Amino acid sequence: MAAAAPTAQVKPPFWRNVRVLRWAFQAVFLFLVIVFLLYLWGNLTDNLERLGIRTDFRFLRQPAGFAIPDSDFRSSQSVWDAFLVGARNTAVVSILGIVFATILGVLVGVARLSSNWLVRRAAALYVETLRNVPVLIIIIFWWAGILIRLPSLDENELFGLVNLSNRGLVLPWLDRTADLTLFLVVVLLTGVAAALVIRWRTRRFDATGEPHHRVLWGLGVALAGVTLAYLVTGRPFTTSLPEVGSFGTTGGFRLSPEFGALLIALTLYTASHIAEIVRGSILSVQQGQSEASNALGLSGFQRLRHVVLPQAFRVSVPPLANQYLNLTKNSSLGIAIGYYELTRIARISISQAAPAPQATLVLMLFYLAFSLFIALVTNIVNRRLEIEGR
Amino acid sequence: MPKRRLIITGLMLVVVSLLAAGCFHSDDENGNGNGEAAQTDTGGEDSGQEGGGVFQQVQDRGNVICGVNDAVPGFGTATEGGEYEGFDIDYCRAVAAAVLGDANAVEFRALTADQRFTALQSGEVDVLIRNTTFTASRDGAEGARFLHTTYYDGQGMMVTEESGFTELEDLAGSTVCVLSGTTTELNLETVFQARGIDYTPLTFEENEPLQQAFIQGRCDAWTSDISQLAGVRSAWPDAEGGPDSLVIMDEIMSKEPLGPVVRDGDDDWADAVNWAVVVTIQAEELEITSENVQEMAGSDDPEIQRLLGQPVEGEPFDAGLGLDAEFALNVIEQVGNYGEIFDRHIGPGSPLALDRGINALWTDGGLQYAPPYR
Repeated sequence: MAAAAPTAQVKPPFWRNVRVLRWAFQAVFLFLVIVFLLYLWGNLTDNLERLGIRTDFRFLRQPAGFAIPDSDFRSSQSVWDAFLVGARNTAVVSILGIVFATILGVLVGVARLSSNWLVRRAAALYVETLRNVPVLIIIIFWWAGILIRLPSLDENELFGLVNLSNRGLVLPWLDRTADLTLFLVVVLLTGVAAALVIRWRTRRFDATGEPHHRVLWGLGVALAGVTLAYLVTGRPFTTSLPEVGSFGTTGGFRLSPEFGALLIALTLYTASHIAEIVRGSILSVQQGQSEASNALGLSGFQRLRHVVLPQAFRVSVPPLANQYLNLTKNSSLGIAIGYYELTRIARISISQAAPAPQATLVLMLFYLAFSLFIALVTNIVNRRLEIEGR
Repeated sequence: MPKRRLIITGLMLVVVSLLAAGCFHSDDENGNGNGEAAQTDTGGEDSGQEGGGVFQQVQDRGNVICGVNDAVPGFGTATEGGEYEGFDIDYCRAVAAAVLGDANAVEFRALTADQRFTALQSGEVDVLIRNTTFTASRDGAEGARFLHTTYYDGQGMMVTEESGFTELEDLAGSTVCVLSGTTTELNLETVFQARGIDYTPLTFEENEPLQQAFIQGRCDAWTSDISQLAGVRSAWPDAEGGPDSLVIMDEIMSKEPLGPVVRDGDDDWADAVNWAVVVTIQAEELEITSENVQEMAGSDDPEIQRLLGQPVEGEPFDAGLGLDAEFALNVIEQVGNYGEIFDRHIGPGSPLALDRGINALWTDGGLQYAPPYR
């Protein structure tokens, strides 16, 4: 009798049926969430209409009316173009910050594990100090306390090529004197050639075992190619050196104190976090690896470079990605010192009659784009480093 | 089965969204016609066209929330005791005296130039009296309504005495500091472009870091409304050279009519604030001051009687503004007339030492002209 009627055929009534209840709860929850969001949306649009403020994105095409220093932006260009300039500034600070912070962070992280007591203590001091101070304070300190107190222009000596004052750091730069397209094409071809040469040298090394010197070969090819391109296309640029005028320098490439303070502060702060991540990831590599490399007679540097760091790197990629995202978003603190990055531009345009909800939404979308890009790159790196089967 | 689950989830999303959206059919007429979610009031009526908007809220609450500046000496600063004082502050108190009968029934909110319009639009402040210039885009796109101008100003440029600059052309190639979120930022760009003067702007959100940058020589000139420059200059620390180390150029770069601001769409409140300001000018025209106002209340002049809300053959005059009949008397007694407010904070006897100039009464050749109170 038990085999005649399978128990699975008997269904409980729907109010006791777990499957139905699960779906029902989810449906109700979803309903409440959507109702809440629609209520917020309705509230916002109603209030904007009541005040007579537009709810579209047309403000992006309006002329900006304000100027942005250190760029070619003209005040008659649109607000959208201003946002793009801000995005470029944010990108520059973020990318440079990520590169420098990683280099410094790895150095400090390795230093914390050094056998030298002084080095170890100095690194620990650096990490503990900078990790525990809010990054905004560090930014303001560097700007107000150091960079704008550099000697002003009149008292400054010109160190030949570089000019440093409280108006900024001016580096020698290249001035375009003719069309660059042909030059860039040749440079691109040179890059490809250099990559091929490196690959050839590596193949040769794998086959015969002779030292490859591939970096030297690659650089040599690149340098030769670029010089050839420069000469052949008729010297399409000249160097421009900073010259001191009555108010500021003309010529050269200027890095403002605001940019400098933001970059230095972000680098120092994020490097202190990256140092801890690196330290943790090195400690996670099994002790046996270090013992084995010592037994093989590898020096300390070789052990780090060839055995420990490659394994540690795999572990450190997800937290590093986190720090990179933090750095990108922390660049918005540049508004405190007047650096024209994305948040600053958005705030200026809001205060010059752009509607606040739409402008803030555009701002958030830009940051989202940056963050997703960084996450994408680090996810690709992560996936390639993963141990198969995990 | 994953496919079945996917179908059910998809169907559920569609049904639930339709149901939820059906609860909200707004935008056709005023109001959200739904019975599901809780409905909160946004300022009395939804459209705010009828009375009872901010005016009602202020009376219910018992005080006026005024958005002000706390960083411009003479117009709006915070004193050591945490109190606020200044030309604009006194006008906040005048509004409170008119609407509530008590000049001290004010709550001050210090706002930066960037925040001020968002604070006004969102209802965080009832009125914004913060040296704000009347412009078309603020009237339109920012949803603001400007009331009677209290101070006709212009934009100027301040440099150090030792630089020796006297005209704008001297600033070619220089760095100029300016506050962001102001008309001065836009005017600087317009004027310098029109005259073909090359420059680098450096903007800040607050006066504090701007002052630091100017002191350190990070920028060569500071541009702002002349009244603001005068205020900042009057409080310049002696350690940096004191007020005499700075000079405000003779150039006037733009028109800057400063006045109180309220939100669009609330005419009753706008009228109340407007007339609170106008009666101070009218009082000066009739030579009524805070000291003689009680005497003047007994005067036989019908204009004075009407202004001070004294009965003229029976009923005192009621202009239908929703204000007390004696509101002008309260304002003049507790705050003063336009001349008194001006002299107290920014006049020739004050640290700013500004002349009445174009802010004199129309009878003295200036622009202050009160519409008749009748």
